[in-house]
Order: sequence, then structure tokens, then C-alpha cells
Amino acid sequence: MLSLKLLWRNWRSGELRLLAAALLLAVAVVSAIAIFTQRLEGALIKQSNTFLGADRVVRSSRSLPVEWYDSAGEAGLKQAQTLLFNSMTFAGDAMYLASVKAVSDEYPLLGELEISDEAFNHRSTTLERIQSGPPRGEVWVDSRLLPLLDIELGEQLFVGESELLVSKVLVREPDRGDSLSLLGARLMMHIDDVPATEVIQPGSRIRHNWLLSGDEAQLSAFLETLKKEFSPHERIMDLQASQRGLSSTLDRGKQFLGLAAMIGLLLAGLAIAIAAQQFARRHTDQVALLKSLGAGANHIRSLYAKQLFILAVVASLGGLALGEVLQRAIASIVSSMYPLDLAFAGLWPYSLGLLTGLLCLLCFALPPLWQLPTVPPIRVLRRDIHVATVSGFWQAALGIAAVFILVAVYSQNLVLTAVVMLGFFALLALAAGIALLMLKLGRVWGSRSGSSWRLAWASLLRHRGQTVAQILVFATAIMLLLVIFVVRTSLIEEWRYKLPDNAPNHFLVNIAQNEVEPVRKLFTQEELDLQGLYPMVRARLTEINNSAPDESLKKQVGVLNREANLSWTPTLPEDNRLLEGKWWPEMNLDGQTHYVSVEQELAERLNLKLGDQLTFSVGGLNLSAEISSIRSLNWDSMRPNFYFLFSPGALDSYSPTYLSSVYIPAEKKPLINDLLRQSPTILVVELDLVIEQIQNLTAQVSDGVELVLILVLLAGVMVLLAAVNASMDYRLQEAGILRALGSSRQRILGSTALEFICLGALAGFLAVIGAELLLLGMQQWVLETPLQAHPLLWLAGPIIGAVIVCAMGLWASRKVVTVPPLQVLRELA
Amino acid sequence: MLKVTELGKVVNTAAGDLEILQEISFQLAKGESLAIVGASGSGKSTLLGILAGLDTASHGDVELAGQSLKALDEEGRAALRADSVGFVFQSFQLLPGLTALENVMLPLELHGHQDARQRAEKFLQRVGLDHRLEHYPKQLSGGEQQRVAIARAFANEPTILFADEPTGNLDAKTGATIIELLFELNQEQGTTLVLVTHEERLATRCQRRITLEAGRLEQAVANVETAPC
Repeated sequence: MLSLKLLWRNWRSGELRLLAAALLLAVAVVSAIAIFTQRLEGALIKQSNTFLGADRVVRSSRSLPVEWYDSAGEAGLKQAQTLLFNSMTFAGDAMYLASVKAVSDEYPLLGELEISDEAFNHRSTTLERIQSGPPRGEVWVDSRLLPLLDIELGEQLFVGESELLVSKVLVREPDRGDSLSLLGARLMMHIDDVPATEVIQPGSRIRHNWLLSGDEAQLSAFLETLKKEFSPHERIMDLQASQRGLSSTLDRGKQFLGLAAMIGLLLAGLAIAIAAQQFARRHTDQVALLKSLGAGANHIRSLYAKQLFILAVVASLGGLALGEVLQRAIASIVSSMYPLDLAFAGLWPYSLGLLTGLLCLLCFALPPLWQLPTVPPIRVLRRDIHVATVSGFWQAALGIAAVFILVAVYSQNLVLTAVVMLGFFALLALAAGIALLMLKLGRVWGSRSGSSWRLAWASLLRHRGQTVAQILVFATAIMLLLVIFVVRTSLIEEWRYKLPDNAPNHFLVNIAQNEVEPVRKLFTQEELDLQGLYPMVRARLTEINNSAPDESLKKQVGVLNREANLSWTPTLPEDNRLLEGKWWPEMNLDGQTHYVSVEQELAERLNLKLGDQLTFSVGGLNLSAEISSIRSLNWDSMRPNFYFLFSPGALDSYSPTYLSSVYIPAEKKPLINDLLRQSPTILVVELDLVIEQIQNLTAQVSDGVELVLILVLLAGVMVLLAAVNASMDYRLQEAGILRALGSSRQRILGSTALEFICLGALAGFLAVIGAELLLLGMQQWVLETPLQAHPLLWLAGPIIGAVIVCAMGLWASRKVVTVPPLQVLRELA
Repeated sequence: MLKVTELGKVVNTAAGDLEILQEISFQLAKGESLAIVGASGSGKSTLLGILAGLDTASHGDVELAGQSLKALDEEGRAALRADSVGFVFQSFQLLPGLTALENVMLPLELHGHQDARQRAEKFLQRVGLDHRLEHYPKQLSGGEQQRVAIARAFANEPTILFADEPTGNLDAKTGATIIELLFELNQEQGTTLVLVTHEERLATRCQRRITLEAGRLEQAVANVETAPC
């Protein structure tokens, strides 16, 4: 088969290598990221679902129909039940209101329980990990319940009417984060022991959790059907609903990986386009010769199409293999650091890799090659004959369409696609203009400088079109690399910021007015800081502008159906931001009118505006306040957050209790017991375990992100190499002439280096402009983070550009000084 | 074999239409040899290109191997070139990535010859390059490269061979060797030969010559004293 022979000969002569390498890399980058992302996502969702203890949880305030359990069993799903309620526990004279969790044998469906034979011991070496709850007749308890009831492990306690053995200390349960609203020390018991306790009476506040796990499609379908039978008491909890902090971490991680894949692909696409241009240029004469030898345009089209197709298939398969090896390497590094259950990614990412290869070739390589078969045969006799090419407009239009399709497919986010495209165009237009301007300015300066400068600048100007095109390619590559680098850095910083090492990990609730000082003193003695001390009054919002909210609104907004926590504070809390209105010091507070600041999302849902009047019922007493400001706040901050913050003094007459959060390091955990002995009515919510879980997960995703970055960098280097290579023919020829005319190697090398430094620095500068624009767009519309400039980039961009481009340029042009000039000229003749 | 009638070529330039060739008519019988001579820019290469079907005439017609080129589209002309035409160029036009053998095999492979390799080897042996089969063009001297080009041109056994300044890039001695080779092979194969040259030595080896001046036919003479080609 002739096309195969030609392909082999073209390959041997090196003309196809760049194209093949670019294609291989495109497929490798996309498939490695797609496969790894898919696996990581699957594993992370699975791992995060351990925060639920299952893939889904149906939560209800009533017991669920038994038929539901049967039908879940028939549908092949795994299931478990838990009951959550508060109950008094007794041991001797001591009693304590414990937060009880009664679990069935199958609990937990995902994740593990960690138990210990020693109280207040969190060292992992002494912990026992187990995938089931306590057997009948036994209870596992939080360490701090032991001193509170003045008992040791192995002794008995009473839950209602039942006497149960305290056999283990419960250190960790996967779905602990799920029970923030139930306060107090945990006691875990078997669900079958519950009836004998007789603590559950009609009207008791109980939460029934039905845990479900199984094949995702089956599970979704099952719940979709079941949902129709739900009463208003039932809700389905998934990760999204139960863990805001976690799911936003995961979303960001996914966004980043998507962005990385997209940028990797754009870079590789660019490399393919450049390589194809170079291939087309080199083959113009070959096609003319083939035609003079009697090959018709159709014959040539078919010869080249077959070569390209074979190349695409082989390179794509190679890329897929490389992608698989890469993703395996990444996966093994990530799983060696943290145990992750990386499952098979499914066939889609593999097909995506192959499709990418064909699509890239079609979109990026075809336009430059399209006109090749129409090269007129007379060119064999007359080299000056013009060769028609697909017009720049159509090439650009095809390229842009290709990029748009690819970006949209990979990001599955039209906003992101639009932002990337806009950034791209803004950069291209700006860059072309600035590049031309700077070349002009440089000429004046260059002509006054030394000979190396003059030569370098003359060379850049002589090939103005190619110079500008090259600057644009360099700038695009550097821009994309800067963007991915900045996004990755800010992402990791954001995660760290969100959960700093000393983030408050315990909430103290229900502190009475007279306990405030003793509590403060206790923590100060231990050199621990209370993060704000907020007074808290529980109240129900009853009227908006003197009329009761209508029923439909009540159904939509939970706050209208339950008591909310009201608070007041003289200063705006640290991570709150005032969006509308004024804060207290700027207002004229007369003590007569009360003012309230409302959280932004709630204000939107209730359609509240500044000046609206809200009426609350506080234990039967009415409290009215005017809305004076709207705030945004960070729900993931692990600090006390309030929907309603009042002006100072507004709640004075409603006997508030106080709320605070504090960071307690593991070794000071026993302090909680001292606190509870001192003030038994205070409730302590332990978030440290949840925080630790989130931190581990974040570390894992960060590592994945770092490794993906290396792949993208590789694609960037490829583009730069391709662009440098594309200009090598004329550079070698000119250098050959200069050497023949007696120029020293040093001068040629010097002027070549200067030429590349100028190109790189200029491209780097333009890349920073583009990167800032793109980042601004992403901060505004995609990442929704505060807008911020990156001053360091303005320094780093041009320097990185100059260094990298110069290094690659010199490496690629080493032939200029190592090969005799006659040979260089002969080869290029 | 070749019949040229009222041939003209006009190109559009910024300064208006430019007539490169005007009213050229002549005929060439099978096996004859013709030298097209003239000063630089007289239109020799353009004429050669049109005669070989590489370019089209603005008016008039060329009949090549009994087929009017005017009546053929590019595909048809390509098919005709494949069947009947061979080329030798001034700049050799060897593909740099292919060995000597592969360069000669290329037209044979394009036409689907199963024995491409054997034929190519035979012709390379004929031009004295059987020891250079696997060499790349850049490893060959100018004379050797042109011999490869000649082997490539004859390997396909064309009925008519067009040569554009075949010795233009060679020194006198190598040029003489190449001329000998070209005419020897031409005689062996009974090929019709049309060559463009400004070299008197080469022109006189042809049976006929036409001289172009500013795109017009100045004179057509028979080189009666010439040795038979």
C-alpha cells in the first residue's frame, strides 16, 4: 500500500515526527486527565460518601414503611438504619443527656468506625477500625461521657429502662458531620436494644436515617421511583446536601482538572496546527513533483488522507497507551500517600481520548493541509508560482470552531468556554497590535545598539508576519501555563485558608450569662482563644412588614418553619462582608428602633430589602426590627454564623445564652471534661474529626492537581518547541549565509539568543496581559472568588518567556554553529 | 507526437496583462529531439511547462501523444503525464527524505507497478549508480543526483521526455557526462525529447531547435549536421 510506504518514508525523514508527537501528547494529556479525573472523582465521591456512611441517606422524622426496606432489598441495594435522639443516661447518681445513635447490624455501609479501649486516646496505632456498630447489650461512647457519668470502660450505664455494658470508646464515626444539630456526647447502641429502653414515646423527637448503597444508576432509579411515595417528613441526603464545605472542595477540584485538561488540549492542538503548517510547507514541492509524475489531485488527496488517518489512529493509540501509563503512575502516587479506592474509569474516557486524536487532527491539521493537493504542477519548473492556501480567515474560523467545540465538550461549562474564548481573542487582538508596535519601536533602538542587537532585530523585522505569529503562539502557550499555575496556587491556598491548621474545631453552645467569665477564664488559662462570644436567642420569624409570610413561601424557606438563632455583635464578624446598607457605627442608633442585618441568600429567598420590618416571636414576646444591612458570610468557615445579627442591646431583655467556637488541640481534649464538670449545661459540638477528614481529602485532591499540572506543562513545552522548530529553516539558512560571509559563531549565537530573548520576553509580557484578563473573567464568572491582580506575574511572565524560549531556541539552532555552513546551505537549497 | 498550434500565454500582472508566449506553432514527430533555446526570460520554461501539461495555455492548443491538452482537465492531464511523460529538472527535484532507489521507485509506485523495485534498480544500474541505491540525495554529488533524476525519468518508459536545463546546475565535465547519458537512454528507449537549454553544446545534439525571443518563435532550424539522437 503506497500511502503506508509514503507514511513510513515521511516518518523516517523526520517530517511527521512533530505532528505525531503533538497528536500523541494531545491524546495522552486528555486521556490521562480524563481517566484519572474519572477515577479520582469516583473515589472521592465514594470516600466523601463515607461522610454519609452510605451513598444516599433517606432522612425522616417518622419511621419509614417496612415495604420500602423490602423493595430496596429486591432492587439489590445494601441498606442500614440508624435512629438519632437525645436521651438521659444514668450511672449511679450521675446523669447526662447524651446524643444517642442506634444502629442496625449493617451500619455503616461506607467507611469505618474507629473504637478504642482507652479514653481520650486518638493515637491511630491503638485504634481499632471496624465496619459494624456495637453488638446487642453493649454501648460505645465518647470518651468524655465516662467522666461525666463517673464510670470506666467495662462498667454499666442506663439508657432509659435498659442497663447496657460500656464496652468501647467511640473515637470516630463516618457520618458524624451529619449530626451537628444533635448536641452532646455520643452514645452508640444497637437498634434492637432501643424498644427495651422505652425512651421513645409518641411525640419524641427522633431522626430516622435509612442508609442506602449500591450501583449508582440503580440507586438513583430506585430513589426516583420511591420519591413519589415520600411524605413531607422524608428527605434524600446526598453529599451535596449534607456537606457544603466538602462538596465545594470537590467541585473546585473538578473545575480545576477540567480546566487543566482543556488547557492541555489547547496547547497540544496548537502544537498540531504548527506541525501541520510546517508539514504542508515542506510538502508543497513534493506534491508538485508527484503531480508532474502523473498523480492527479484526487490521487494525492487520497494518498495524504490515508497517511493522516493511519497516523491519527497509530498516534491516538500510542497516546492512549501513554495516557494510561501516566494516569496509572499518578494514581499509584496518590494512592500510596492516602488509601484511595480508585475504580475502573469506564470506557468513556478512553473513547474520549481516541476521539480527541481524530478531532484534533481534523480541526487543527486539516486546514493547513487542505490545499496541498491543489498545488500547481508547474511549480516544479517555477518556484515563484503562488500556492493557494486556505485563507487565513477560514483557517482561523475552523480553528476557533474546533477550540470552542473541544473546550465546551471537555469543560461541560458554557460560561467557562465563553470566558476562555473571550480571553483568547482579547489576547490575540491585543497581542498582535502590541507586538507590531514594539517591533517598530525596537527597530529604532536596535539600530543604535551593538551588532548582535542589530542583527537580531533585523531578523525579527524581516520576517515580521512570522515573528508576530510566533509571538502569538509563544504568548498563548505561556498565558495558558500561567493561568493554570495561578488557578492551582489560588485553589490550594483557598483550601488551606478555608481550613487553616488552627481553625476552630469545637463549638460551645448554651453558655449561660453567668458562665461566660468562668468559661473564658478556663480557656485563657490553657492559652486557648475563644473565637468571638455571641449572645444567642432562639426565635421564630413570624411577620415580614407586619404580615405573616404566605404558605407557599413557608414551604420553600425552612427558616420560617423553625426557630432561628438571633444574635447581636458590635463588630462585623471577621469573614462576613457587608453588601448593602450600613454597619452600626455609621448609623444613628437611638435605642428606640431595633435594627437587624440579614444574610444575603436568605434575604434573596424571602425577597427582603433594606428598610423592611421583621417581627420575631421570642418565647411568646414580639420583637420587631428594621433591616439595615445585607451581609454575605462564609458557611464553610467553621465559625458561628447567623442569619440575623441585631444592633447592640436589641436582645438584652430576652435572656440570651452564649455561643462560641474554639480551637482545641488533640492533647488538650480532656479540657472539655473540666469544662463540662464546671458547667454541665454547656453543650460541646466536636468538629475536629470532621475537619480532619476534610483536610485529608483536600490534601489528596491537591496532590492530584499538582501531578496533572506536570502533564499540562509538558504540552506547553511541546508547543514552544514546535514553534521554535517551525522557524528553523530560515534561521539556519540565514545563519549559514552569515557564517559563509565570515560572521563568528559567537556573534551568530549571540544574535540568535537575543532574538529569542526578545521574542520570549515580548510573548511573556503579552501572556501576562492575557492571563490577567482570563483570570479576571474566571474569578468573576466561573470560580466566583474575589477579583484580584497578580503583580508577581508581570515580572515572572517576561522572564520565564525569555528564559524558556531562549533555551529552546538555542538548543534547536545548535546546528547553526556545529555544522559547516556549506552543508547547511546545501541541505536547505 | 507533439503538435503545437497558435500557442499563447497571457498572465495578469499589476501593470496589466503580459503576453509571455505568442503564436507559437510547430510539430515534432515520434523519436525526434528538440532544443528550445533563448535568453533568460524569453519564455522557455513556460513553454516547456505548457507542452508537458504542467500549465495551461491562454489560447491555442497542444496535442500530446495524439491527445489535445485543451480538452483535458487537470486530472486528465495528470493521467496523460503518468502514461506518456518523463521529466528531468535543472534542480534535480529529488525528495530529500527518500533514498536514490526510493526516488526512482516513486513514479513506478504511483502508477501501481508491482516490480517497481526491480525496475528502479535496473535503471539505477544503467546510469551507473548501483552502488548508491541506499544513499540520500544530500549524500550524492550534483552529477549523481541528476543521474538519479534521469533514471527516475526513464524508469517509467515515457514516450516523450521533457528536460529543463538538465546541465544548468552542473560543471562542464559532469554536464557532458549527463548529456551523453541522456541521449544514450533516449536512443535506447526511442523517446521523443524536448529540452530547454541555453547551452549550445546541448542544443546542437538535438535534431531540431527553436529559438524564443520575448515569447515569440524566432526561428526553427533543423540541425542537419547533428549526430542522430
